[in-house]
Amino acid sequence: MSPVGNPDLRKHATGDTPVLDAVNLVKHFPVQQGLFGGSAALVKAVDGVSFAVRAGETFAIVGESGCGKSTVARLVTRLIEPTAGSLRLHGQDLLQADGARLRSLRGRLQMIFQDPYGSLNPRMTVGDMIAEPLMLHRVVPAAQRGTRVCELLDVVGLRAEAATRYAHEFSGGQRQRIAIARALAAQPELIVCDEPVSALDVSIQAQILNLLADLQRQFGLAYLFISHDLAVVRQVADSLGVMYLGRIVETGPSAQLFRTPRHPYTQALLSAVPVPAPGARAQTTALAGDVPSPLAPPTGCHFHTRCPHAIERCRSETPSLQATPDGGMVACLRWQQLPLPRDETRAPAPNPALARLQAAFAAPSGLKSDRIV
Amino acid sequence: MTEALLRVDELRVRFPSDTGIATAVDGVSFTLTPGELLCIVGESGCGKSVTALSVMGLLARPPAMLDGRIRFEGRDLLSMPPRELADLRGDRLAMIFQEPMTSLNPAFTIGSQLCEVLVRHRDMSTAQARAAAIDMLRQVRIPAPEQRIDEFPHRLSGGMRQRVMIAMALLCRPALLIADEPTTALDVTIQAQVLELMRSLRSQTRTAIMLITHDLGVVAEMADRVLVMYAGQVVEQASVAQIFAMPQHPYTVGLLGAIPALAGRRERLAAIDGLVPAPTAQPPGCRFAPRCPFADMRCRSEAPPLSEVQDGHWSRCWKAPLEQLAESLLQPAQTPEPQG
Repeated sequence: MSPVGNPDLRKHATGDTPVLDAVNLVKHFPVQQGLFGGSAALVKAVDGVSFAVRAGETFAIVGESGCGKSTVARLVTRLIEPTAGSLRLHGQDLLQADGARLRSLRGRLQMIFQDPYGSLNPRMTVGDMIAEPLMLHRVVPAAQRGTRVCELLDVVGLRAEAATRYAHEFSGGQRQRIAIARALAAQPELIVCDEPVSALDVSIQAQILNLLADLQRQFGLAYLFISHDLAVVRQVADSLGVMYLGRIVETGPSAQLFRTPRHPYTQALLSAVPVPAPGARAQTTALAGDVPSPLAPPTGCHFHTRCPHAIERCRSETPSLQATPDGGMVACLRWQQLPLPRDETRAPAPNPALARLQAAFAAPSGLKSDRIV
Repeated sequence: MTEALLRVDELRVRFPSDTGIATAVDGVSFTLTPGELLCIVGESGCGKSVTALSVMGLLARPPAMLDGRIRFEGRDLLSMPPRELADLRGDRLAMIFQEPMTSLNPAFTIGSQLCEVLVRHRDMSTAQARAAAIDMLRQVRIPAPEQRIDEFPHRLSGGMRQRVMIAMALLCRPALLIADEPTTALDVTIQAQVLELMRSLRSQTRTAIMLITHDLGVVAEMADRVLVMYAGQVVEQASVAQIFAMPQHPYTVGLLGAIPALAGRRERLAAIDGLVPAPTAQPPGCRFAPRCPFADMRCRSEAPPLSEVQDGHWSRCWKAPLEQLAESLLQPAQTPEPQG
């Protein structure tokens, strides 16, 4: 049996029910103001966010610091409790569950974090850390735990010897592999990945992204992928939501959203990314100003203070998500009047000689030669 | 060709460590002409920041051991007395860092920190310095600089703080600005603003910039010339157009393939297998050989020199020019084995 695939759970994955269904999630954090904690203000970190993650697919949430994307990740895993909204895992209510019920649901929903070192216990061996979820969720009989740990290490491209060592002996990329092995141990259907490659160097980032893609194909995993990096999201996501100050401003299938971004914020985000091809980007300053404080977000459309297309109505009226002809949704009062950005062929055709050389690096057989010595 | 502003020759930086002497920078040479923008790219531990700190004279000696020569405006920085170097720093030579909050003193207003530079190097009165500081804040596009100047650093956003750092670095119109990952901690829309600012200030002031980054997108937009570093050495050096058109070192090839592209999803990213070698235990031959899919016996035993492949395009690889290598990949029998 494969170390992850659990035939019982796979059965659920077919059909139309999404693995995860989030409806109108809201999280308000009270903030003390003044030295003596006078009137409490509210930060609306997540303000009515809805999305669905389907089996075997990746839904990404992308946005800049403070947009609420990590709060969404924490809500979904119930590390914090939402103020309002509903969360369903295969149609089962995640928010009402508690005790044993919650524990069993949590086994089906795992999380990996940005800083793998901060999320691994420095005093436990890697083997013990991976065995812990096996024990907790009674995945395999006690006698088989050792074998299963080795299988899991193999799946993420580490040698079995890693089991006897400690997290500090590993590099950042290897630690992220350990965190992934640990998440896989519970045989999840959904893994919430919160900026999983942001702390890694580009070449190591590519190793981890390839690994996540392989695991998804192999085990039919669904990912909720949180990231600030649009290029990474383009690589991994089947569909995505763009967040700004606690709200999703645009959502849709990835291919469409990157080709025809409708929301002025999505357009600005995309045009701000430096492209690794000299002269490929029209070098216009994308956006002026900073993201407003989430303590006092602008009225109406949150983005109107930085939006080049804002009109008087945008200051007072809050736009809701509306369907676009290309299968997405956009929350902008003026989206029908706005021009689509010129489809700049942002990357010139790759040099064939260079592409051939790069193919030698991309060979999947290379995946496992990262074994630690 | 214009006279070099900065000439680094065979720079070697070593640190004692528990496991032996760590060679962080091993024989790095490059030049910078006035007004030029040189990008140094590489991943963590490749020696790019240590190179920058050596030029600034910011490495404590001991423990650091520096060899080689660093000549700036005709003077040798490595043998310069500390007092003279201190006169140079902040005046002719300036540096900005990744995390502006840790480089600004939280206990002083940004105004007093800016004025200090002018009082120290330009002998200005406080009033003159304040006027000049406000003027510089306006140039880096800080809104309402007359009020902002009396703020403490924690009151400013990350992008604003980095602007203050840039203002501070440019106050004395330096000939060389070293920027070590200046936009890495910033959001992408703010990064675009700061890069745009650096571009426009460079064209106004003709300050040469040494920009250290791991982001090849930033390199493509900013650089005139590029230096790629790996494991303490320069492995490739070329103009920005040359390096993106056809890199001549397998490490650069891998790096370019490892970046996800906005234009479309790639089937697989070109992950570079394995890890950077430890600075205390470099492999005997080419340092990249253990991770290179094209490496052969010679690569593993003999260290390649940095040699000129094409006009102004240098590579430290036995297989360069790589066009021939790519050609050989076309023949079906010669599919390269990923090294074992």
